[in-house]
Amino acid sequence: MYPSASSNFQNYAAYRTQTASRDHSFVPPCQAACPLRMDIREYVDLVAQGRIMEALQVIRGGNPFPSICAYVCTHPCEDACRRSQVDKPIAIRALKRFALEFGGDRMIQVETQTTHPEKVAIVGSGPAGMACAYYLRKFGYPATIFEAHSELGGMLRVGIPRYRLPREVLDVEIQRLTQMGVEIRTNTRVVSLDLLFDMGYKAVFVTIGAHQSLRMGIEGEESPGVIDGATFLREVNLGLKPSLGDKVAVVGGGNVAIDTARTALRLGARKVNILYRRSRAEMPADPAEVEQALEEGVCIQFLVTPTRIKRQDGQLNTTCIRMELGEPDDSGRRQPVPVEGSEFNEDFDTLISAIGQAPQTPGDFRVRIGRGSTIQVDPATLSTNRRGVFAGGDAVTGPATVVEALAAGRLAASRIYDYLQHRYPSVSKEEREKLVGDLLPETAEMIKKIGRIEAPLLPAEARIKEFEPIELVYDWETAVNEARRCLRCGMGAEILFQDKCATCLTCLRVCPYHVPHLDTTGTIQIPVDQCQACGVCVAECPAKAIVLRKPYDRRQVTEELDHVLKSATESKVSPLIIGFCCQYGLFGTGTLANLWRAAKAGIWIIPVLCIAKVEANHLLRAFEMGAEGVFVAGCGEQCARENTVAWVRNRVQKARKVLAEIGLEPNRLQTYVPSAAGANPAEWLDRFVEQIGGVYLASVIMQEVKVDSR
Amino acid sequence: MANSLFEEKLHSNEFLVTTEVGPPKGVDVSEMIHHIDILKDRVDAINVTDHQSSVMRFPSLGGCLLVKEHGGEPILQMTCRDRNRLALQADLLLAYSRGIVNVLCLTGDSIDVGDHKEAKPVFDSDSIQLLKMIRTLESGKDVGGNDLKGTPKFCVGASVHPEADLIEPQLIKFEKKVTAGAQFFQTQGIFDVASLRRFMQYASQFDVKILAGIIVLASARMARYMNDNVPGIIVPQAIIDELAAVEKGKGLQKGIEIAARLIRTIKEENLSHGVHIMAVGNERVVPDILEAAEVEVARH
Amino acid sequence: MIVAEQKPLQEIRRMISPYERVLILGCGTCMTVCDAGGEREVSFLHNALRVAQSRSGNEAHRFLEYTLKRQCEPEFLEMLVDKVGDVDAILSLGCGIGVQAIAERFPDTPVLPGVNTSFIGMAREQGVWDERCAACGDCRLEDTAGICPITRCTKGILNGPCAGTKNGKCEANKDMDCAWVLIYKRLERLGQLEKMRRYYPMRNFRAVPRPKRIVRTPVAVGEDNG
Repeated sequence: MYPSASSNFQNYAAYRTQTASRDHSFVPPCQAACPLRMDIREYVDLVAQGRIMEALQVIRGGNPFPSICAYVCTHPCEDACRRSQVDKPIAIRALKRFALEFGGDRMIQVETQTTHPEKVAIVGSGPAGMACAYYLRKFGYPATIFEAHSELGGMLRVGIPRYRLPREVLDVEIQRLTQMGVEIRTNTRVVSLDLLFDMGYKAVFVTIGAHQSLRMGIEGEESPGVIDGATFLREVNLGLKPSLGDKVAVVGGGNVAIDTARTALRLGARKVNILYRRSRAEMPADPAEVEQALEEGVCIQFLVTPTRIKRQDGQLNTTCIRMELGEPDDSGRRQPVPVEGSEFNEDFDTLISAIGQAPQTPGDFRVRIGRGSTIQVDPATLSTNRRGVFAGGDAVTGPATVVEALAAGRLAASRIYDYLQHRYPSVSKEEREKLVGDLLPETAEMIKKIGRIEAPLLPAEARIKEFEPIELVYDWETAVNEARRCLRCGMGAEILFQDKCATCLTCLRVCPYHVPHLDTTGTIQIPVDQCQACGVCVAECPAKAIVLRKPYDRRQVTEELDHVLKSATESKVSPLIIGFCCQYGLFGTGTLANLWRAAKAGIWIIPVLCIAKVEANHLLRAFEMGAEGVFVAGCGEQCARENTVAWVRNRVQKARKVLAEIGLEPNRLQTYVPSAAGANPAEWLDRFVEQIGGVYLASVIMQEVKVDSR
Repeated sequence: MANSLFEEKLHSNEFLVTTEVGPPKGVDVSEMIHHIDILKDRVDAINVTDHQSSVMRFPSLGGCLLVKEHGGEPILQMTCRDRNRLALQADLLLAYSRGIVNVLCLTGDSIDVGDHKEAKPVFDSDSIQLLKMIRTLESGKDVGGNDLKGTPKFCVGASVHPEADLIEPQLIKFEKKVTAGAQFFQTQGIFDVASLRRFMQYASQFDVKILAGIIVLASARMARYMNDNVPGIIVPQAIIDELAAVEKGKGLQKGIEIAARLIRTIKEENLSHGVHIMAVGNERVVPDILEAAEVEVARH
Repeated sequence: MIVAEQKPLQEIRRMISPYERVLILGCGTCMTVCDAGGEREVSFLHNALRVAQSRSGNEAHRFLEYTLKRQCEPEFLEMLVDKVGDVDAILSLGCGIGVQAIAERFPDTPVLPGVNTSFIGMAREQGVWDERCAACGDCRLEDTAGICPITRCTKGILNGPCAGTKNGKCEANKDMDCAWVLIYKRLERLGQLEKMRRYYPMRNFRAVPRPKRIVRTPVAVGEDNG
């Protein structure tokens, strides 16, 4: 009747298989906000499972110097984190640091080979330059870093204070660059790019940073005792200890101003005042840093700016004027306007101005300079007006963040690679869509509230005594618990095969977060920005039309099960007991570890990413392949998702019915949920094993009798 | 012109007494006959139940024939549970031909409460449609609209449930039954005289005779069992307690006392036109109850 | 929606015992919605049969799994054409209609019913389905305030309630509401109690003479003009 129906169908089946194997997850807000586009969701999930080494692998794969970011990154990812719509964002930076310290990042060596002859020169050794060198080496190009100072690092060395970024951490990374084969020339100031080309370099990356402090433009700025912030920090970081006197004023509101103020305290200043011309809300500095500064005793005077400095009697008599906020300026922040007649005078021993920095590009470079003294580049290729000359980092953007510089360095390396290969820039487009949208109230309401655990800090009094790092690292429990709070944005469930959907409304009814809904056409939609990836609807859909967006998640339980069953049947130990155990949180790392240790021969544990994903089918399959006993062990109260145990019990009931009908004892299949903290899973497992042993023996005996009676 | 002795009695102002016998599950009708014999002169008419509680038994029509043979006045209880309209009409024609003309029209208990739980429930009609069916036959036609060769005449009645927890729907049905032609009503078991009184205030506007149903209980356990399992019966806690208070073996005695007391009250206060005693297996004590209640019927 | 229940595993095993290669066939419409025979249930049954088989040590059967969007349409059944040759029997998890449709289309392949088709009904909440319609062909819901006495009254009477109603529940099933009490209450609420006071004669049980056929094809317009 319809001869083509069959062949059409073959193609459709192939299409289905293909679609099913693709990654449909959305790029989560954290990854979208990160200049390096790190797969944050992935490594946080791995920490939550206790798989720290693998988390470290993911981190290192996306960031050339993750240990530096672990200390000083401004974490735009945390600012974008949607968990803040429930309680507080995930402490991603702290988790990254935990993974690096726990995983032993220092041991990692990076293999490189030189496969191209063309040499590349990198002018400046800040994060952009270091990153560019790293990736050029990975591409196989010889790279030389030219650094005017005696040590590498740029702002990492001379700007960021030691209590924020320990120097050993920076040195390890630099050591790695050397091990990768980067040639390093310190104490070498490059004055002309032509010279570099003459020396045989085929491309140059200019990344000299922004170290020139802006002038306040007020009378008395040249007086002794008035210094600029960038110079001050450089001197301190290079080992000098300038004497500041007792009373210090710092002018400005950015991170440099805060760093300056806190450094001044550590150098012994008794009173440090920050004078900032706008209010706290407009302060560009990291709020956590501001908080720490206040804890340490820094005083911040808002809506104040100095107008004149006069040196008298060995002190700086400073006239300040109060400000009020007027109309917004170009940056969108309200312009401060002086309040007539509100001048007042204050005396300081030292005044440090930290109102901003600009790059200082030598004219001999002959690159086009733009606004704010920054080098002008084509943003897609980072190329300047000179052939073969690329630029990036603070020298191009003005003072910005470390992670942005790293991203620029990485991009520059790619573009230089394209340039040297004489090909068009190969732009890899992100195939996946970005996740946008806030959590709806009815969804956010149902999410279990677990408070954010901040990384512990040394107490304020201890901090200001010296320049030791102030932030301590998480312990195992804390890190795993903190990682578990992640909502896993964008990797939830989707109705992959809309044609299979019978609109039975099961998913709508079973979702603990009220996510699936009917749209105006009467079709079920599972909005990607609301789904909490618990997996309940996937397991309950009668038409198997719903899958998880990431291909690994779709296959995870079945693959693990198949793998274990294969190994178990090969090992031929009897009786075979299989346990599906959650791998998340303290259950996964604590209780599961206990179970592993307690496991005797014949017990195989299948780690699952939340037991809500274990279906009745999986349970039966275990029995089919010869398991004598099967259990499902879950986090119970600890579970970050709602109501998972209830679902599992339903499925266990269903499987038990089948067992009963084929003559197997239903209690060969059990659920284990520790109800009280400190319940001993090993004891329970012992009892279960004993029980199965008994049952197995009985069935063996019965079979023997049957055989004999023939 | 009355179609039967019972109908005549209905037209009189006497205090009527009817009772019922349940046929056996089998062909040994000796006990039933014994009951008929001891009761036939003490009551105005004897109902023969039709698979009461959906338990399969010797048929009601057969039982009525036995009542007639042994000189009693039968009332044929007819339910709609087991027969379709052809079978019901046929049985009515047979009943009339054998002089059984008193019919109590019932819908019938649900199959689920009986002992043949997998049987097909028929319910081609309900009690009201059955009343109409009988009236249609009396007009010389069957319900298919065809003329009859020879027209039967009946005296029809139905049941009513004055002690139902939601009374209005029952009253609506009661009226429908009256309109459909019911001449007399036997109520479900009465225990609360006040609710009977209330019901009669409403029912007395109709030209029908109401016989209050009296159930003979033999023990507290029996009372509780009936409460839970027998449709339409609600035994109040006070009665259960009264039965529980007596020593073992004296339950039936107490039951007789309670029944007699109720009957006496009803008769003295003129609360209904008579009583219908349901002895539920203890048919032999019905005469004792009547004696204790000091009720005697006039036999022609 | 047609609602069904899967047959007990023992019965299914007995039915498939003479056949070596069995296709377990699901249905993507009603049987998916009532979770008796959709793709997931097909998969689950397949697994259950395999466990049973492996335990008994007797690997008598081989199974194929497949789900059609609907088993009751000839066009969907065409998709089985190249599969029937590979199997000795089809275990259909479709409703009675599907089983019969397959049997008619593929008369050389035995078709076994895997579910007991139970009623036409709706879901009250997740996992709870109630019968609602008897397909009597003579709908009288206007007289009963939208509550069907045929399905919801155990006796299916039209002049209810009977004497067995107690506390608003049915004598046959204490968890079931007495339909006539519901009807009474809702008619009262609508101010239409006179509908309950009316006499309703016996039903026309042959309104839908079984098996019924409904034909709705376009009527040919007359050949002449006008």
